[in-house]
Amino acid sequence: MPIRPPAVEAVDLVKTYPGGRGRPDVRALDGLTLTVPAGTVHGLLGPNGAGKSTTTKILTTLSRATSGTARVVGQDVVVDADAVRRSIGYVSQGTGADPLLSPRENLVMAARLRGSSRSAAADRAAALVDRFGLGDAGDRRTGGLSGGTRRKLDVALGLVDAPRVLFLDEPTTGLDPEARASMWDEIRRLAGEDALTVLLTTHYLEEADRLADGLSIVDRGRVVVAGTPDELKATLVGDTLTVDLVEPDADAVRAAVARVLTDVVVHVEGPTGRLVARTPDGPAVVGATIAALQAAGVRHGAVAVSRPTLDDVYLRYAGRSWSDSSPARPTGSSTDRSASAAPARTTSGASGGRSTSGSSAVPAGRDTDGASAADGRDAREVTR
Amino acid sequence: MTATLTPTRTVAPVARRASWFAQTGEVCRRWVVDTVRQPWGLGVSVLQPLVWIVLFGNVFESVATVPGFGADDYLTFLVPGILMMTVLYSGAWAGTGFIDDIRSGVMDRLLTSPVHRSALVVGQLVQQLLLTAVQGVIVLAIAWAAGARFDGGVVGLAVALGASLLLAASFCSLSAAVALLARDQTALIGISTTIVLPATFVSTALMPPALLPAWVESAARFNPLTWATEVARTAMSTDVDWTLVGTRSALLAVLAVLVAAWSVAAMRTYQRSL
Repeated sequence: MPIRPPAVEAVDLVKTYPGGRGRPDVRALDGLTLTVPAGTVHGLLGPNGAGKSTTTKILTTLSRATSGTARVVGQDVVVDADAVRRSIGYVSQGTGADPLLSPRENLVMAARLRGSSRSAAADRAAALVDRFGLGDAGDRRTGGLSGGTRRKLDVALGLVDAPRVLFLDEPTTGLDPEARASMWDEIRRLAGEDALTVLLTTHYLEEADRLADGLSIVDRGRVVVAGTPDELKATLVGDTLTVDLVEPDADAVRAAVARVLTDVVVHVEGPTGRLVARTPDGPAVVGATIAALQAAGVRHGAVAVSRPTLDDVYLRYAGRSWSDSSPARPTGSSTDRSASAAPARTTSGASGGRSTSGSSAVPAGRDTDGASAADGRDAREVTR
Repeated sequence: MTATLTPTRTVAPVARRASWFAQTGEVCRRWVVDTVRQPWGLGVSVLQPLVWIVLFGNVFESVATVPGFGADDYLTFLVPGILMMTVLYSGAWAGTGFIDDIRSGVMDRLLTSPVHRSALVVGQLVQQLLLTAVQGVIVLAIAWAAGARFDGGVVGLAVALGASLLLAASFCSLSAAVALLARDQTALIGISTTIVLPATFVSTALMPPALLPAWVESAARFNPLTWATEVARTAMSTDVDWTLVGTRSALLAVLAVLVAAWSVAAMRTYQRSL
C-alpha cells in the first residue's frame, strides 16, 4: 500500500482578530501545528476559547489564518480552497440545516449544490436518512425536531458528498446523555469507514478518550501535547488510589497511612471525606492501606484504583486543571479540590474520626453537602 | 445504486461541480420553499398594499381636484406609486434570510461547500424578484377591483411590472448587502425603514411633481422610486412617453447592477471577517 499523505497538515497557524475600539488584538491561534494521519479520528481537546473552532474554520476554508500554512488532503486551504471544499464535510457548532425544510430536503439541496443530479441527490438523501435512523423525522420540518435528531442531520449533511475529511466541531455539546451516546456510536461507525478522516473538537475529556485515535491538547492557541490517549496517559507514572471516608479526622487519616503512602491528600466535606493518593503501583498498596486505616479505626467506604485520566494529562501539560480553565463550573480536580476545601474542616472535625465500627450510613439529608465535590467529574462536562 | 455510503467515495467528487446556474437555481428554490412555508410574511406583504390603496385612495381622493394635479382619478394615479412602495417595504426584509443563516450556522456550511459566492447572493435575489412579480400582479388586481383603470393595456402593465423588478433588484440587493455587513436584524430593519419612509415621500409616488415643494421636487428627481413610478405611470397611460420609459429604465438597470455587485462583494467581506 502506498503511503498516503496526512489528511491534515497545519504549520504554525496564527490567527488574530481585531480587538476593536482601541483594545488590543485577540490572538486566537498562536502558532498551532497539527498533523492528522489519513483514516484516523483525531481529537482537538481543549477548554472553550482554546482555539479549537478557529483551527477548524481555517482548515475548512471558512476563515483565513493571519499567518502559517495548512493543507487538507494535500491541497492548500487558501490557494486550492475549492479543491479542499470538494473533499471535506464541515459540521459547525451551530446547525447547518434550514429549519423550514425537512431533513430530506436539506440533504437533497446540499447534494444538488455540490453537483449531484436530481436522482443521485434523492438517492443519497434517502441513504443518509436511512443510515442515521431519521426515519419518520426525515420528512418533517427540521425546526421541530429534537436536538439529538437535528445534530444527526448536521452530521449527515457533512457526509452528503462522501468527503475524505469530516470536521466535527463539538458534535455533542448541548445534547442530553442519551443523544450523546447515540452520537458517539455514529462517530465510531464513521471512523470504521474506509479512508474517512475525522477531525473532532471537544471539551469533553471522556469524548476524546472514547473516540479519538490521536489527540492534540490545545491551550491558548497552541498544541501543548499530542499523542494517542494511552500514550498521553502513559507519560504520567503511577495510579490514583481513592478511598471514601466516613466522618474522617484528616490528621488521623494521614497519620494512619503515612507508612504506606507518601503523596496523600485528605479531603473532608461534611460527614464524608475522601483520601486521594498518587502511587507508583496502586493494586499493590490497596491491602496495606485498608489494613492501616482499619488498625487506626478510620471508617471507610469504597476503595478505587484508577489509571491516570486525560484530566491528569491536561493538568500536567497545560499547567492548570481542566476545570479551572473551563469557565462555567469552578470545580477543582481531585488534587485541587482537597487543597482548597479541606483546611476549614480538618480542625473542627477532630471528634468524629475515632469510632471503631466499620461503616455507618451517612445521613441522607446531609449527603447533598458533599455531592458537589463528588460529582466533580460530571460537572466538568457541563461547561456551556 | 448509491445506497451504500462508502463506495461513492472512489467515484470522487473531484471533477464534478455544479454549474453556476444550477447552484443559483437550487439556492433560489430553497428560498421559494422557505417563503411559501411562512404564509404570514406572504400574507402581510399582500395586505399592506391593500390597506394603502384603500387608505390613500380615500384620504387623498380630493387631491385630484386640486388645480395642476393633471389627472382625473387619484386612484389610477396612485397605483404605480403603491406598486413601487410595495417593492420597497417588502424588499427591506430581503436581507433577513442571510442574517438567519449566519446565526444558525447554515451560512458556515454553505461557505465551506464548493458553491459560488455569487450564486448564494443571486439565487436569493432571483427568489425576491419572483416574489416581487407575484406581489405586483396581486397589487394590480386589487387596484383594478377597487376601480383603477389601466389605459396602457397589457403592454403597459408588463412595463410597469418590469420597472418594479428593476427597482426590487436594487433595493433587495441593498438589504442583502447591509445584512451581510451589519449581521444584525435590528440594524437592518432600522436602516431600511430609515431609508424607506423618506424615499416614499421624497418621490412622485403619492404626489405629482407639480404639487411638491420645490426642494422636494428637485430631490425626488434623483430618487429611484421616482424613476420606477414615472416609468409605470406613463406606460399605463394612454399617451406613453417611451423616451421616459427608456431613460429611467436604463438608470434603474445600471443601479441594480451596481448594488447587486456590491451585495456579492459584501458576501466576500463577510467571509473575510470570520
